[in-house]
Amino acid sequence: MIKMFFVVPILLAAAGIAWAQGGMKKKKPLPCEFGSVTINNYSRQAGMPPVVFDHWVHRQYYTCRLCHVDLGFGMTVGSTKVRAVDNMKGYFCGTCHNGKMVHGGKRIFESCTKEYTREEYNRCVKCHTLERSAVKENEFYRFSKKMPNERLGNGINWEIAEEKGLIKPVDYLEGVSSKKTNLKVTSDFAIKTKVEGMPDIIFSHKKHTVWNGCGLCHPEIFIGVKKGTTKYSMVELFEGKYCGVCHDKVAFPQTDCQRCHTKQTQE
Amino acid sequence: MNTKGRLKLLILTGCLSLFITLQTAYGEDAWRTDFDAACAQSDDAMAFSIPELKKLIEQCDRVQNSIEAQEDTVRKVFLRRLQMCRNLYVFVLETKMHEQKPK
Repeated sequence: MIKMFFVVPILLAAAGIAWAQGGMKKKKPLPCEFGSVTINNYSRQAGMPPVVFDHWVHRQYYTCRLCHVDLGFGMTVGSTKVRAVDNMKGYFCGTCHNGKMVHGGKRIFESCTKEYTREEYNRCVKCHTLERSAVKENEFYRFSKKMPNERLGNGINWEIAEEKGLIKPVDYLEGVSSKKTNLKVTSDFAIKTKVEGMPDIIFSHKKHTVWNGCGLCHPEIFIGVKKGTTKYSMVELFEGKYCGVCHDKVAFPQTDCQRCHTKQTQE
Repeated sequence: MNTKGRLKLLILTGCLSLFITLQTAYGEDAWRTDFDAACAQSDDAMAFSIPELKKLIEQCDRVQNSIEAQEDTVRKVFLRRLQMCRNLYVFVLETKMHEQKPK
């Protein structure tokens, strides 16, 4: 019961931050919408709707590192400033979406072309769309049915999905990725919480490096390599810093406290 | 110019274009090989010694000049990739140097 006196104010503070940022409480995204990002650097200028990128479609096939390191995509929406011409040259989306690459027996559709027919426009609107697509939603629910459940986010436990071999994310693309040696993983460590009663965080490098490598987080997101170098608060995390760069946006939400605060406390 | 002279000129032009093509192709491969050599080891950054890290940072700086000479999209992709691995090496280097300082 005493724990509640500490946990409740934290949750209230988090809600307060969310309120202050948006002026009103943000609508909780549907499981199929969680991790969707709208990219609108140049689309409108080109007379196209913005690109709606669904992380769930891609993360079942590829690691985070592959796209955010090897393909050069930034970690914040719109920071990469991808142009159609970049895709046409075979970079960014065009690395795979070139009409030639085959994945799981399926040819991956070509991303951008200089000119297109009315029929080809149907291909453009696979990405350049703002309207909710019932087909896409159905695809998501069909896919998620086969995956281990999770309470929040996409409603999918991606980590268990990989452990069970239900997904096998690719981490290397010939001609794109640099050949790497086997990653030596640093052991898990505990991060002490400031709030009494809240279990400490057990941070697993293994869980994070398997999809991210080292360079995705250090030093851009976490300036500290050694434990304790970076000091952060839940307020900053809910503002989208540190863990909040991925968690809440694509990885499971930070409101799922017990996913991170796992260290057993002595009663 | 007689036929012999024309033939010589033709062969010379052919050789010159072949040389330029090969040099360009090799040049393109060279910077990519250098990039891979520098950045393929970023996941092992913590295992490197201070001199090894300094060498890798120098390698990154060398390849940066070659990437800057590439076309727009290649520059955009590979300068970001290079920056990420260079930053990691610099950070690990600073951490290791800091650890070595007497407290």
